[in-house]
Amino acid sequence: SCSPSEKLDLDAWKKVVKSGLQEEVSETVSEHKELSTLAAARKVLEMWRLAGRSVPENISEEQLKTFMECPSKSAKKKYLKFLYLKELYKKNDKRKVDEKRERRLEAQERASETDETKRNSFVCLWANSMDRAYSWRVAQSMIFGQPLVFDMSYEKDMTVREVANTVRQIVLSEGSNRRSVDPFHIHFCNFKDNSLYHKEFIKHYREAWGKLLITVTDQCYTDVFPKDKLVYLTADSPKVMKTFDHDKIYIVGSMVDKSIKTGVSLARAKRLGLETAALPLDKYLLWNAGAKNLTLDQMMHILLTLKDTGDWKKALEFVPKRKYCGFVSKP
Amino acid sequence: ANIQPPEKPLQAEEWNRLRESFQSPGIFEEVMFNSMVRCNSPIDVAKSLLTHVAKSNGDIAYNLLVKYLALCVQQGQTSEIRDVYDVMKNRFKILESGAYNLFIRGLSNSDQWRMALTLLEEVKKIMIPSRTNYESCIKAASRHQEMNLAFELYREMLAKDLVPTLDVLQAFFDFSRGMKGAELQKELFGILLYLRENRIYPHKTFMQSIKLWFESIPGENWRGHLTSIKGSGQCPVCNHQLEDSDLTEEEYNNLRERIISDVIHGTDTFRKTSPQEFEAFQRFVENRFPFDIVIDGLNVSHIKPRKMHCENLFDAVNCLAKDNARLLVLGRKHMLINSSNWKREIMKEMQNKADFFFADNISEDDAFLLYATLRSGKHCKFVTRDFLRDHKACLSDSLTRHLFRKWQHGHQIAFSPSVEGKRISFSPALCYDCVIQTTGDTWHIPYKDTFEEKYSYEVPRKWLCIQQK
Repeated sequence: SCSPSEKLDLDAWKKVVKSGLQEEVSETVSEHKELSTLAAARKVLEMWRLAGRSVPENISEEQLKTFMECPSKSAKKKYLKFLYLKELYKKNDKRKVDEKRERRLEAQERASETDETKRNSFVCLWANSMDRAYSWRVAQSMIFGQPLVFDMSYEKDMTVREVANTVRQIVLSEGSNRRSVDPFHIHFCNFKDNSLYHKEFIKHYREAWGKLLITVTDQCYTDVFPKDKLVYLTADSPKVMKTFDHDKIYIVGSMVDKSIKTGVSLARAKRLGLETAALPLDKYLLWNAGAKNLTLDQMMHILLTLKDTGDWKKALEFVPKRKYCGFVSKP
Repeated sequence: ANIQPPEKPLQAEEWNRLRESFQSPGIFEEVMFNSMVRCNSPIDVAKSLLTHVAKSNGDIAYNLLVKYLALCVQQGQTSEIRDVYDVMKNRFKILESGAYNLFIRGLSNSDQWRMALTLLEEVKKIMIPSRTNYESCIKAASRHQEMNLAFELYREMLAKDLVPTLDVLQAFFDFSRGMKGAELQKELFGILLYLRENRIYPHKTFMQSIKLWFESIPGENWRGHLTSIKGSGQCPVCNHQLEDSDLTEEEYNNLRERIISDVIHGTDTFRKTSPQEFEAFQRFVENRFPFDIVIDGLNVSHIKPRKMHCENLFDAVNCLAKDNARLLVLGRKHMLINSSNWKREIMKEMQNKADFFFADNISEDDAFLLYATLRSGKHCKFVTRDFLRDHKACLSDSLTRHLFRKWQHGHQIAFSPSVEGKRISFSPALCYDCVIQTTGDTWHIPYKDTFEEKYSYEVPRKWLCIQQK
């Protein structure tokens, strides 16, 4: 209020912005004359980032190509946001790891000052020996265990990202199966070498892929097991599962369908003339929101719990809490 | 984080004070510019902040410049917009779509609208311009009576698969009012035909623009009247009979093929039925067709919730069975099992009056409904309360979807709204096609009363009748 505006040169900013780049111009002009399409796209992305949109700071050549192949503007936006969030999570993780390391170093320093020696009858090899115990159990299940089939024939029904999500969920499932008291004997059926599934699995497991204690085959489950023992689990099934049968072989479709493709796995079971079943979600849970299809690792947890206890209430604890608002008091 | 922008330009130290008192100084400028745009602050205030930022940082971030630009566009400060363009262009070489949108919008509303066209060309080099970019340029061109240029841009955007807004189309009619020229008239008729082909209904104000344009053509004596058209399809103003909703032989066959391939089979026949079942159904239909009315049994059986399911169906069948009409009722196998809702005796009795086909309990009967109706021929109608939106969505191209809509409007028998009464009654399908149509010396244009979009299965009842005297 005390300053009369005449004193201000309101257009001074134009001079500043213009003068600030005089040197830059001379070097960039010649260089930018012939922009390849990739470089041009990169430049556009840079401008979007400056404009404050959700765009990653760094983008690889391959990602840039994927970006340019997106069929629509909204697909492009979505892909960029995905990369942006991925970058953000990565950065945060890295920061946390660094912080943790610092804290550990500090703690070590303090510990070495006090110099406390521990006496213990076991050599500290926990992780290693646990691994061996788990492997022993899974090996046992490969001989005597109940089979559980993952049907790997859905690649055509999924986008690349959905396949990646599927594989991630299966990796989690395999992990929880391995750590359970009485694991399933996992079968990957209809598994084609060099398929997208295969590539994603190798990305996750690396060398361990060849050493996994599971059965992988390109055969269909109907060729491996007697048909009358197979039960295809699908949310679209008209039949509701009453009890967990230890003599049956359950099949889970390895599919993530973000767009809820109703009836795809039911169609597969119908074609092969297999029995189908859905989890009794409505019977036990007061359903709240969300689709009835569950992730593969949730299915695995539920099936393992059923196998061990036969207790539906305990098993259905693994349904995400946001999807239901409580248990039915009298099932 | 809300903050009131100052009313007068501030000095550097005053900005600094404000900034320090703000809870998160890192984003102070951004928040400040946002609220300046919201409050439509005087441009000098924004300038003083820019100057302060430039002096203390030696540069101004891109997003601040864009926000400043938004303020200039909002206030129509043409010369300032041009200055900002020079500054940004010098500093950044290419700009992103947000800035281009603002420049094009800002300049197209000014006397420098030709510059907006230049910018449109610039945008084309790095991306496909948005439809609002075209909208601004087209409106600018037609505002300055450069109709040729406007139509050229319009054709260009159609070629790029951009869908023009109704606003742009309306602008063509508004700015052509009173102008003469066969070429121009042809172009505007072209827009009406575009609306016809895409089954788009103009809203009320758009309809007014169309009416006024027609009436303004010198020496042609067009007169428009608002009216509503009754079931017979005859226009009460000019007594003209509207086009019927029958498809041509070719369209009809095309639609039938596409229903079979896209809706029934889709990616996997097992999803909706099974090959055996579909074959059995085809054989069933071949042996008995043509039917006059095909009924979705399960859908009809729920029409009155208080009544037994089979009673509802029985009423409907009785009501439709007049005049020796041949009926087909589609149901599912569970209807045959004697239960509280499905009495065996009533089912037996109905089967004397109509043919029945029972699909598997997990099959989709709607797909069969469509097939049986289409197989029976053009005269055959169907009964369901379902809007069949999911089936329309299965069709893979928009042309077939339009055919489907047209066929549906002409062949779906709906329940009359007076369902509260004791008897079930039906309202017949529309016998005329609800779409923009012309005979050369008349135009009939259905329009929406309200601005918002109608559901795609609803058709407007109000029409604009235009005739040449």
